[in-house]
Amino acid sequence: MLLISCPNCGSRDETEFHYGGQAHVPYPENPNDLTDREWAEYLFYRENTKGTFAERWVHSTGCRQWFNMLRDTVTYDIQAVYPMGVPRPAAPFPPAADTGTASTGAASTTPLSPSTAPEGATK
Amino acid sequence: MSTHQLPEHPDFLWHNPEPKSSYDAVIVGGGGHGLATAYFLAKNHGMTNIAVLEKGWLAGGNMARNTTIIRSNYLWDESAAIYEHALKLWEILPEELEYDFLFSQRGVMNLAHTLGDVRESIRRVGANKLNGVDAEWLDPQQVKELCPILNISDNIRYPVMGATYQPRAGIAKHDHVAWAFARKCDELGVDIIQNCEVTGFVKDGNRVVGVKTNRGTINTEKVGLCAAGHSSVLAEMAGFRLPIQSHPLQALVSELHEPVHPTVVMSNHVHVYVSQAHKGELVMGAGVDSYNGYGQRGSFHVIEHQMAAAVELFPIFARAHVLRTWGGIVDTTLDASPIVGTTPVDNMFVNCGWGTGGFKGTPAAGLTFAHTIATGAPHKLNKPFALERFETGALIDEHGAAAVAH
Amino acid sequence: MANTAAFTGINGLREIRRSPASHLAEAFETGSVQGTVTLNEGPFQTMAGVRVDPRSEAGTRIGSVTGGLPVRCGEVRGTDRVSVLWLGPQEFLVVAPEDAHDSLGGDLIGSLKSALGDGAGQVVDLSANRTTFELSGPQARAVLEKGCALDLHPRVLKPGTALNTEVGNIPVVLFKTGEESFRLFPRASFADYLGRWLLDAMREFASPEVP
Repeated sequence: MLLISCPNCGSRDETEFHYGGQAHVPYPENPNDLTDREWAEYLFYRENTKGTFAERWVHSTGCRQWFNMLRDTVTYDIQAVYPMGVPRPAAPFPPAADTGTASTGAASTTPLSPSTAPEGATK
Repeated sequence: MSTHQLPEHPDFLWHNPEPKSSYDAVIVGGGGHGLATAYFLAKNHGMTNIAVLEKGWLAGGNMARNTTIIRSNYLWDESAAIYEHALKLWEILPEELEYDFLFSQRGVMNLAHTLGDVRESIRRVGANKLNGVDAEWLDPQQVKELCPILNISDNIRYPVMGATYQPRAGIAKHDHVAWAFARKCDELGVDIIQNCEVTGFVKDGNRVVGVKTNRGTINTEKVGLCAAGHSSVLAEMAGFRLPIQSHPLQALVSELHEPVHPTVVMSNHVHVYVSQAHKGELVMGAGVDSYNGYGQRGSFHVIEHQMAAAVELFPIFARAHVLRTWGGIVDTTLDASPIVGTTPVDNMFVNCGWGTGGFKGTPAAGLTFAHTIATGAPHKLNKPFALERFETGALIDEHGAAAVAH
Repeated sequence: MANTAAFTGINGLREIRRSPASHLAEAFETGSVQGTVTLNEGPFQTMAGVRVDPRSEAGTRIGSVTGGLPVRCGEVRGTDRVSVLWLGPQEFLVVAPEDAHDSLGGDLIGSLKSALGDGAGQVVDLSANRTTFELSGPQARAVLEKGCALDLHPRVLKPGTALNTEVGNIPVVLFKTGEESFRLFPRASFADYLGRWLLDAMREFASPEVP
């Protein structure tokens, strides 16, 4: 079970979230101009990184907001949580203090998160 | 339940040769598909100066981690053809490989729990029959007769409204399958090289001419990738992309029980599939974890959900205990069908994207992939499963037949 | 279809309205352990889903109707009669007694709609969306802890906090209303499931504690 720091709600169980796949995949500016190959790339090809991966999640049971996350696809370590529309932050990252363990920390400590966690929202 | 005795645990079924400096072909990945490919390259195409490179131990990846279900009741003609060919090979391979890997044709049931399931299932039975695949539609009472421990009560959240049934489907001992192929490969002169991790490829222009490994560079004319969840990593080394995503897929076994479960039961809708292994463990699997992952483990809630489904369908399981859980890394495509064919790199071939259903396809993957590697062109069975289909749009959507886990 | 014209608003239907867990009322009564943990389904309430940027003018106008808008997860604002629960940065659940509904002589929905005016956002009458369970007693927290991963310890979770989360694997808005009392808002279709889940979780407290 991943423990994910929602930027709005603080740490919550993975079951409250839905996965949105690779982050930072723009919709083609002129879809009609694409070749079949380029359209296939847009539709079917996504990075399948072994290591640090930028991906989207939505806190569907909580605030229903999307956000981006950097996660190691081997260790499942969550390295950063950052808002939609913000470019991928540069490595390296300090180990996330608030994820993957039954931390009793009072606030979300993920970098770039726009708000701290409220009372009762952490575990 | 089979009355076979398990064969004695083998001492040595294959050698552990040092890699040679050069081979006619190198297969990357020493799981079921890699070994089957090497076997058919040697047997059908006379290519014996070949090597299978395995980064860990033989058949220690998904070949050791799957739930061993073998069936061919897929919807589309292309899939029915390749999976049914695999099933026919499963039926003759114990004799051909001179190894009884306990292929037990105890039948596989796919349960229907909603009207939509029922319609889709009956359609699939019809499609199967047209393709010469043995398939039947069972009503709940017939389901109960075949598998008495199934709860067919109306008073459950997802009542059993019927099932498709393929009598010739079943299970096999997965590790014995690997040993059977490995022993024959070894006899035919194939080098099986364990603890040999591929770290890169040597290319001459757009043509692959060698494989870099942690045990040195190996020159080769042809490379076949059989690396399942790690296919993207290898493709990236070779300089091309694959439309696959790697996900953790978990499975588990109970402790040993008396024979209670005579067949294989799968439910797409409530996400569980169960059989009882020859030794007596209840073997169960469910869906993939939603996120991309290369860790051979997943999240606990997936197991919890799967157990809830299993106990509702099989109330008798409520008192069973989970003995072990584990995960593998499955390579899923967006049409839930495999990719077997050529790649943008000359002389490099790929066999991947089997997702959660690779074990059942092992013999056909090996046969067709060997043909592709040896001749440079696909076998008629794997022609539709080319990488190009994602550009042409000729997808083979098997989410209905493979949907348990995608 | 045609018959619905005979009813005028909710009033015409009020008499035949049944709450989503009404069939469990007796079970809640016998399953409750007085002085330990009790469960009941609360009366109908008027609920409105509001989506608005709280920093916008429309947000300010709506805040003046509701007694403010909460600004962070967990916070509850409101008046004596109206509670505004934070669901998201721009999404709120307004909860008030049933008679605040416009069809019963109140004006909550209408006044929210007129406060929003032409501003960006929406006001939706969600009075039939969720039901209300009241779970209270010294063991109420222990019951919830069987199926809620949040830290419910009183040093962390204070009365007056409401959180959108999971209880018993389903989505629920959990409102801690007092030191030992919780209000749960499941969607109507989950009421039966959650009611039975809570009853099951409460059952052990009917027996003497095993030392």
